[in-house]
Amino acid sequence: MKIAVCVKQVVTREWPLRVDEARTWVEDRDASFEMNEPDAYALEEALRLREQHGGEVVVCSAGPARAAQVVREALARGADRAIRVEGGGLAAADAAMVAEALAAAMRDEQFELVLTGLQSDDQGFAQTGVVLAELLGIPHATIIMEVQVADGRLRVKRELEGGWFQWVSMPTPALLTIQSGINQLRYATLKGIMAAKRKEVRVVEAAADLVPRQEILEIRVPEKTKQTHMIAGSPSEAAAELVKVLREEARVI
Amino acid sequence: MERETLDVDILIVGGGPAGMSAAIRLAALQRQEGGGPLAVAVLEKSRQSGSHMLSGAVLDPSGLDALLPDWKERGAPVETPVKQDRIYYLTAGSQVRAPITPPPLRNHGNYVISLNRFVRWLGGQAEAEGVDVFTGFAGTEVLYDGDRVVGVRTGDRGLDKQGGRKGAFEPGVDIRAAVTIFADGVRGNLTKTLIRKQGLDAGAPQTYAIGIKELWRIPPDREAPGTVVHTLGYPLRSEEFGGGFIYALPEGRLAIGLVVGLDYRDPRFDPHMAFQRFKQHPLVAGMLAGGEMTRYGAKALPEGGWYAIPRCHVDGALIVGDAAGFLNSMRLKGIHLAMHSGIHAADTAFAAVRAGDVSASQLVKYRDLINRGCIRRELYPVRNVHQAFGAGLLAGTAFAGLAWLTNGRWPAGPLPSEAGHERLTPLSGYYSGGPADPDTPSNAVKVDRALTFDKLTNVHYSGTRHDEDQPAHLLVQDTDVCRTRCREEYGNPCVRFCPANVYEMVDDGTGTGRRLQINASNCVHCKTCDIMDPYQIIDWVPPEGGGGPEYEGM
Repeated sequence: MKIAVCVKQVVTREWPLRVDEARTWVEDRDASFEMNEPDAYALEEALRLREQHGGEVVVCSAGPARAAQVVREALARGADRAIRVEGGGLAAADAAMVAEALAAAMRDEQFELVLTGLQSDDQGFAQTGVVLAELLGIPHATIIMEVQVADGRLRVKRELEGGWFQWVSMPTPALLTIQSGINQLRYATLKGIMAAKRKEVRVVEAAADLVPRQEILEIRVPEKTKQTHMIAGSPSEAAAELVKVLREEARVI
Repeated sequence: MERETLDVDILIVGGGPAGMSAAIRLAALQRQEGGGPLAVAVLEKSRQSGSHMLSGAVLDPSGLDALLPDWKERGAPVETPVKQDRIYYLTAGSQVRAPITPPPLRNHGNYVISLNRFVRWLGGQAEAEGVDVFTGFAGTEVLYDGDRVVGVRTGDRGLDKQGGRKGAFEPGVDIRAAVTIFADGVRGNLTKTLIRKQGLDAGAPQTYAIGIKELWRIPPDREAPGTVVHTLGYPLRSEEFGGGFIYALPEGRLAIGLVVGLDYRDPRFDPHMAFQRFKQHPLVAGMLAGGEMTRYGAKALPEGGWYAIPRCHVDGALIVGDAAGFLNSMRLKGIHLAMHSGIHAADTAFAAVRAGDVSASQLVKYRDLINRGCIRRELYPVRNVHQAFGAGLLAGTAFAGLAWLTNGRWPAGPLPSEAGHERLTPLSGYYSGGPADPDTPSNAVKVDRALTFDKLTNVHYSGTRHDEDQPAHLLVQDTDVCRTRCREEYGNPCVRFCPANVYEMVDDGTGTGRRLQINASNCVHCKTCDIMDPYQIIDWVPPEGGGGPEYEGM
């Protein structure tokens, strides 16, 4: 099976975020970066499918030059080769622009299966995979918890609300957006890291005419508001009042 | 258990300035000298090259000049020449500027750098030369054949809190090498065991300091890039060795820190609190006003100098950089010496592998290179200085001046010196006036979270991350000592000397007693606990590879 996995480089979650001077993105000059977490699960799922069904796993990424780090990490974990679309404007690009950049580089490969993470840790629109499927002209399914392949068709488990799941049967080629936690991530091994150095990375310049469809007007840090509400009365009265507040005001139970 | 093995010619354990310099030099030697290809590997516990690097830092470029003379063309992130040196003596509310800068502290020709970025760049240079740089792998055990070092075992990955195997369990790898170069940094966990097993200790014990640092963004026109400020005095008392530093980088980035000797006497002293006091001083607070703290970190540094350097060559192995203690505490510099030692080790190891003899009798050439070269030329004349600071700041300063004037001939011979933790005084001895509260630092300040911070907030800014579900990497041999003897005698100084809130004494559930709680995932890998614990029962071992701080820009 010829599988593509799309991975994005994002600012690490441990980074204390600050808004940049233009107030339209986070200050990432001193940030450290890592592979978007849902994408790591997508990569792991692709590696497992290859182990079961054979074929190859091609890691694809669109971003500035620094994104080479996550591509290499994916190769060290076991991907066979990589396509890296490079463009300075891709660092904070919207989903449509990233999908267009990826689609242009991936179209000729005729992948049977394309996996992406469900959403990115930075913008979190959950759109890149969906738009990419449209651009590639293939069906897609989102929030995938399990992937089965049989007789050239897919049977996938989607996560719905409230603990419900949905099984979908679909043809290939197809695109799936993978939910975090669907498998257990493997470690890169020493031999994997050594092998990664010899694997093919095709670097493609992003097309110059990519235009954003969205404009970020302003980013703001949520204001911290803390209200302390003391509940008086006897323990049983206070407990009853607490339940009422949690149910009606906080709406958490 | 199936354990993978990997055979290389030369293994470098630790990818700091010393280790990376050794790697780059080995690649250069191979190119110059030819011969069969040498497999060179660097093992580094951080997730990426440079992530665990923390220093001031002012770089004396002599090591870089020797390693890569064309470093400017190669785009080294060494861009801010020192323009101005200022030294102040601080009192609680005021300061006196030293009319002249003593020669050891003159920084003309040096550069203000981010060691994190510098080492990441060195790592890239090494990889471009064909060296395998394995980040995210910690060396946890030295492999021996008899007494000869034959490599290192990396840590198992994927163990849970109890040591059981998780689904992704990956056993550690035995990396076997003809020569192993230990570059595991200050109080390196492997060098520590090597020194003990083989009795490599020098006559004098190694002494240490802890450096606590923050990176700030301040209005860019306030301090010219390349401004270097050092301070003596407040917030430290005359019985505490150390001082402050403030280095200005471009774009309004300001590195600010305090170095405190880990040989202080007051068991209630808290180095992190001292750093907060330093920032509150009008001189410093004025520079930081309107700014924003962006990064935090802490790391120990070796300060014992020439007489504390262990024997650095054994059968099959060499020790370089901070692991060996190559740091000039009088100039407050060690990066260049680390690099020089890495170069010497590479030259020695290369010749040894080519000669097919990696015994100590061949590797002793490393010592000759150190003795004939710039490392001894720089460290020997100041060989007595830090020991002299043990006598107090003023005496130490006078000694330092005399040592400089007389090229180290006076005072003659090593002064008596003890390990720093031995100077820590029990509560009853230090606080003779009456019982002292073991739960409050003697130098406590109320933090405002704008200029001053508590340890937990600071740790958040260190980018530290560990998988929570893994065995503790701070091994305390006997936690009973903590709640009984230590509480009584020293008032649990670990709670204070740890700059990352790893150690906490919490209610033990009886309502009256306390027990030790170790918040291992906060650890910034500074090694202070391993050094300063008065009972020497804390053993710092590496957590799962890839864990630890993320010192981007530090």
